[in-house]
Amino acid sequence: MDIAEIISHHILDNDWGISLGSVRLPVTTHSVTIFVVSALLLTVLFFIARGGASRCSRLLTTLAEEYVTFIRDSMILPNMGPEGRPMLPYFCTLFLFILSVNLAGMLPEMKTATSNISVTAALALCSGILILYSGLKFHGVIGFLKGFVPSGTPVWLVPLIFPLEIISTIIKVCVLAIRLFANMLSGHMVLLCLLLIIFIVGKMNVFAGVGALIPAMVLEIFMTFLELLVAFLQAYVFTLLTAIFAGSVIHTH
Amino acid sequence: MGFGDFNKKDHFAISSLGMEIAVSEILGVALGYWLDKKYGTSPCCLLVGAVLGFMLSFYQVLRAVKNLDRQAKEQKNGHR
Repeated sequence: MDIAEIISHHILDNDWGISLGSVRLPVTTHSVTIFVVSALLLTVLFFIARGGASRCSRLLTTLAEEYVTFIRDSMILPNMGPEGRPMLPYFCTLFLFILSVNLAGMLPEMKTATSNISVTAALALCSGILILYSGLKFHGVIGFLKGFVPSGTPVWLVPLIFPLEIISTIIKVCVLAIRLFANMLSGHMVLLCLLLIIFIVGKMNVFAGVGALIPAMVLEIFMTFLELLVAFLQAYVFTLLTAIFAGSVIHTH
Repeated sequence: MGFGDFNKKDHFAISSLGMEIAVSEILGVALGYWLDKKYGTSPCCLLVGAVLGFMLSFYQVLRAVKNLDRQAKEQKNGHR
């Protein structure tokens, strides 16, 4: 039993790309997961948006309204103010997408696409573009660049502070990507390692392996619930931090 | 929802600070390492990059503290 191979098979991305002549289509487990989740979300949301008179569709519509209100009242308005209202659709999409991809990883035969740095980097890039856009929209190019220099900075310090501020903003966006990636990767790694404990101990001694079964499974169940919490928490944190950063760009001091 | 003198926003700012320190240090070291490889000046650029990354991380800590301080003052003035 090769432990490293098992871990890499379950955690890392598997490329079974299709070659069409000289063009290679990168079909990977993570990209398939993302497409499946997106298609599912689009279908469900399409039916919710279409509405209907039946009890079920009314319930779903109420749920969707409640969700949008939650994003608006707990993330956008406190952090971005009324200026953030036009960006509400982006935040709703972001939260639902990250949450669904995180939760998809908890299903059997599915992978957590957010445990791939490329996916989270793309999401963070979208958030970075939103932050840039909101800064440019509300302050213009000059005002946006002025916002990078804190008020009360002496003139001779400006050439030093300005690049530092720009780099820190870029780092903040990088941290968004790394946080989501690290949390999802480590959670699934822990789940897998707890299961592997049983087999590693069992290989040394069969009875010890049976003895390790119960504590390992209890921990596994605990960690699975923790992973469910983390899936919600990370989606919430990613969306909220995007709102906070965009808000700090809009309301510069 | 508040814990002590901090509100939820402050907690997010503080909790992301640790990772910001790490990322700025890594960025500085990576830049130095890359320059070393390109120009064969090992280990000068790596050391300079590490120092620059350290400075950047400290700048971020100082700025976050300043922001928190200012917000706390604003809140105090607002409550009076």
